[in-house]
Amino acid sequence: MSSGGEGEGGGSPAAPRNPAKFVSPKTVALYGILTALTTAVTMVLVVPFPPTRGFFNLGDAMVFFSALTFGMRAGAICGGIGSAIADVLLGFGYFAPITLVAKGSEGLVAGAIGRIKAGAPAAKLLGVAAGSLCMVSTYFFSEWVLYGIGPAIAEVPVNVAQVLIGGSIGILLSVPVSNLLRTAGRPHQER
Amino acid sequence: MTVFVDLYTDADTFLHRLDPRVKIVAVVLLSLLALIIGNLVHLLVLLAFVLLLLALGRATLSKTVFALKFVFRIMVMIVVLWPIFDPSGTPVLAELGPVKITEPAIWKGVAMAVRVCCLATVWYILMFTTSQRDLVRGLVKLGLRFDFGLALAIALRFIPTFGVTVESITDAQRARGLELDKGAPLRRSKNYVAVLVPTIVSALRTADMLSLALQSRAYGARPDRTYLRDLKMRWTDALALAVVVTIFAIPAIAKYLLDASL
Repeated sequence: MSSGGEGEGGGSPAAPRNPAKFVSPKTVALYGILTALTTAVTMVLVVPFPPTRGFFNLGDAMVFFSALTFGMRAGAICGGIGSAIADVLLGFGYFAPITLVAKGSEGLVAGAIGRIKAGAPAAKLLGVAAGSLCMVSTYFFSEWVLYGIGPAIAEVPVNVAQVLIGGSIGILLSVPVSNLLRTAGRPHQER
Repeated sequence: MTVFVDLYTDADTFLHRLDPRVKIVAVVLLSLLALIIGNLVHLLVLLAFVLLLLALGRATLSKTVFALKFVFRIMVMIVVLWPIFDPSGTPVLAELGPVKITEPAIWKGVAMAVRVCCLATVWYILMFTTSQRDLVRGLVKLGLRFDFGLALAIALRFIPTFGVTVESITDAQRARGLELDKGAPLRRSKNYVAVLVPTIVSALRTADMLSLALQSRAYGARPDRTYLRDLKMRWTDALALAVVVTIFAIPAIAKYLLDASL
């Protein structure tokens, strides 16, 4: 578990129909669970707040957490797909492909930069900032195309506030959980 | 807040019987169609078609309202804000400093709002008439890697479970005096760390158990997969696919090959 989703079972792009191509059961389970958790947190943990959409959700915290703790592949897959499923279930279905790209790139970039030097605090901050930039700009440009420039500008502050909160919580979460994983090893063995 | 964890309703309509692959392709093509055409009348025809399909799929009224609830607010925002940011065209109806309100811009805003409405509703044709199992199976058959399909199926299975976990941990922490309704937004959200850490730890335990279960069932032992029920295209599926492709192709060809303004 402590090695996360990286490099198990031959994750590198290779020819299909190769048995080694399957990612290991550990990774499949971890990705499935993290995706479900991202969706559940996005849908359930909603912080009420007045402007436009009326609430913040803590989904971004889970995206950053997955990326910083388990690497960029986990961040991209679990963040992107988990947030997209939440969009469909919450009634923004048409936004799901955009969310897939926005949150997927957010997780990818945060995981890629945030784990440099074994996740030094500066790397984490930089990763979260770069990931946030990906997410906010993806939403801005796609809303510009879909809704026009006016609503797109109106959404930017909401998204910025959302990633600020999500990023700070994501870092706060990844520190104790990474330490736990490093020291405790595999949870089912200690019980 | 009512949260649907599964949008599927069981019924026996032709949309329910249709191959999930055909439905996925149809939704993608109809979404692209909504982005290609820009004319208000054509968009309204498309919207009527999409709503007709929703009705044929026996979507209940409450679910249709759910699908339209959020998009309606955005539609109002587009209609109001589009003319303010689009000064093109004549006649000019009103002018206030740098802001010009023109008649074509107002109609353009309405058309954009209808387009967003089309994009929003077309998704729910698929979601309301396809069970999650069929959806994942269709995606795998369309070329999604099987292991990612399995991860997706696991995710869909566990969303309601974790929703309940998050809620009960929130209640437990509240009972210990955690305040989640007070303070500025940033501070208030930071209090949620006390909810998220136990949730994540319990989720990672579940992931470990699940990986043991997968290993014990010899997951990944054989490269080729067999299925209990395989998807087969019937002639009705092929017909539906042909109809959708035609509906998509005619305006697309007219626009890009014949240069008609749509």
